[in-house]
Amino acid sequence: MKKVKVGIISFQHMHGLSYTSILQNLQAVEVAGIADSDYFRGTEMAARFNTAYYEDYKKLLNTDIDGVVICTCNKLHGEVVVEAAKAKKHILVEKPFAIDYKQAEEMIKACRENKVKLMTAFPMRFNQAVIEAKASVDRGEIGDVLCISGINHGKIPSGWFLDKELAGGGAVMDHTVHIADLMRWFTGSEYKKVYAESGALIHNKGIDDCGIVNVEFENGVFGTIDCSWAHHKNYSIWPEVYMEIVGTKGVLEIDAFKQNEKVYTADDGLIYDEIWGSDGDEGLIREFVEILRTGKTPLVTGIDGERAMEVALTAYKSSLSGEMEEVEHLDIL
Amino acid sequence: MLKVAIVGAGTMGRIHSSCYVNIAEANVVAVCDLRVAVGEKIAGIHGAKYYDDFDELLSKEEVDMVDICLPTYLHKEYAVKAMKQGKHVFCEKPIALNVEDAEEMLAVSERESVNFSIGHVVRFFPSYKKAIDIVKDGKIGTPKLMRTTRTGEFPSWSWNNWYADYSLSGGPILDLIIHDFDWLINNFGDIKRVYAKSFNGKIEKKDHCLVTVRFENGAIAHVEGSWAYPDGAVFGSTFEVVGTKGQIEFDSREKSPIKKHIHEENGVKVTIESPLSWWDEPYRAEIQEFVNSIIEKRKPLVTGKDAIKAIKVSLAAIESSRTGKPVYIGGER
Repeated sequence: MKKVKVGIISFQHMHGLSYTSILQNLQAVEVAGIADSDYFRGTEMAARFNTAYYEDYKKLLNTDIDGVVICTCNKLHGEVVVEAAKAKKHILVEKPFAIDYKQAEEMIKACRENKVKLMTAFPMRFNQAVIEAKASVDRGEIGDVLCISGINHGKIPSGWFLDKELAGGGAVMDHTVHIADLMRWFTGSEYKKVYAESGALIHNKGIDDCGIVNVEFENGVFGTIDCSWAHHKNYSIWPEVYMEIVGTKGVLEIDAFKQNEKVYTADDGLIYDEIWGSDGDEGLIREFVEILRTGKTPLVTGIDGERAMEVALTAYKSSLSGEMEEVEHLDIL
Repeated sequence: MLKVAIVGAGTMGRIHSSCYVNIAEANVVAVCDLRVAVGEKIAGIHGAKYYDDFDELLSKEEVDMVDICLPTYLHKEYAVKAMKQGKHVFCEKPIALNVEDAEEMLAVSERESVNFSIGHVVRFFPSYKKAIDIVKDGKIGTPKLMRTTRTGEFPSWSWNNWYADYSLSGGPILDLIIHDFDWLINNFGDIKRVYAKSFNGKIEKKDHCLVTVRFENGAIAHVEGSWAYPDGAVFGSTFEVVGTKGQIEFDSREKSPIKKHIHEENGVKVTIESPLSWWDEPYRAEIQEFVNSIIEKRKPLVTGKDAIKAIKVSLAAIESSRTGKPVYIGGER
């Protein structure tokens, strides 16, 4: 079987490391090159994955790779996706999809014009607990969905994540989108209204670190997304993705990372929850590889990423105005 | 020895009744209920006299204290009647269906110089008390993000199904999550505004509410209540308090020391239990506190003013759930 060639553009987002490790372990894949504007990080990664290093990502795009995984800071998604599309490379872009409507529109248009596949990195769609929960809801086991209460807590990241210019926002930008995407997927409806309370409340980093985002769908389903970087540094697990889905016939709870076991170690006096269940990353990467191999349509597209971004942007708007805000949809259909 | 009359021998009347067995300073001497069987049953436990008429009870018995366990819409009438005869009144939550009634109750208690308190029992739950001790110890820094849930089946077991008529019960926002509002206000400060969504009685025998709270001090909270779990579901409550240095988490369904797996005709029934020593039992503790306040001639821990603060938040949340807009406590922003 001919291997597909994948390039990685930047390890600014730490997920790049996980994605590249998975790619390297797949028989059907050749990690064909790494581009990173940070010379030291880039060469170290290239050495680790035994592949070529490019300081300028455009040089990587000029090679015969089939697709790219883009893990730059959020602000650069726009520019890099457009360039990758022009170079006819299929694209997996880290979430949040983009930091504003203009950027998102340019990204989607460029991919359409150049006929390349565009996938947003929403690994939770590939978490096995989430997949089973979606199937259960689709089978009608809890009846019609009425409301969803969601939590995506996590630890506060560092570096550019705390720079509004580069990240497009704090916790609301970083953490709203995962559950916003899942809720939209589960309900099969589009977002209509958002009301949010958010702020720089717990970490004193000058950027929003807590947020509760109320959402309402066209079909009347409502919910909340708690996107707070609520976990302190010694919290026993990094990710938390929880949804309580209330239906006419019952309630379904998903705690997506609960397949873990407790570890107590005297080494550092900490307690860890080590995850042994599916984290979603491998399913995400396998899907991207299938796209490269077969040209199939991604299970989670650029438009899915864009729609989730709209919720985060509207949450910021609502936090400023103190009012419930209508969600503006990018006209891309 | 304080002489006590229990008015209302339903679910809460039964619970309160059992508490007096372990309160040395008070004796139940009279029980009032329209229903002879339930009233006489409770009266029998205490060797108390049963009445089907409250006026008759008040004219024939020399009671010091009246414990009101009636549906919410009857609270004011019975509390005012008792207080006007110089009786101390302990009344189940919520204090009343509207602020006017509640303020009248408070005014009468002040005019008659009787002790008056409302059963905001969550303050007396060991798990909730422990969290506040930890917060006060400074272990988690300044509390900034709180989440509470209170979820279970629809209370269709109620007398005349009065919970289902929101003009009599206020629904779960007034009847259920008022517990959490009281706990939050008492420990984390006054609430500035609320945004709420609920089914608002639109779906038969199901309601679920999600309330987003902004405190005067800038902290935020998510308060969730459910009467939408299927009949027979295990009742549960959870809280999460996130501060600038750490966080506290509790989930009653996960923290029960007893789990029973019992063979039944249609399979296995799993139940959980969380027993407490009688001196830790929260309903006993709240009544003991009130009894102590009478003996010590001081204000009770939970005041009428506290109870009014709590219903103001519930009523604002109900208004928000109807209008779709954030509602400021006390009117203007």
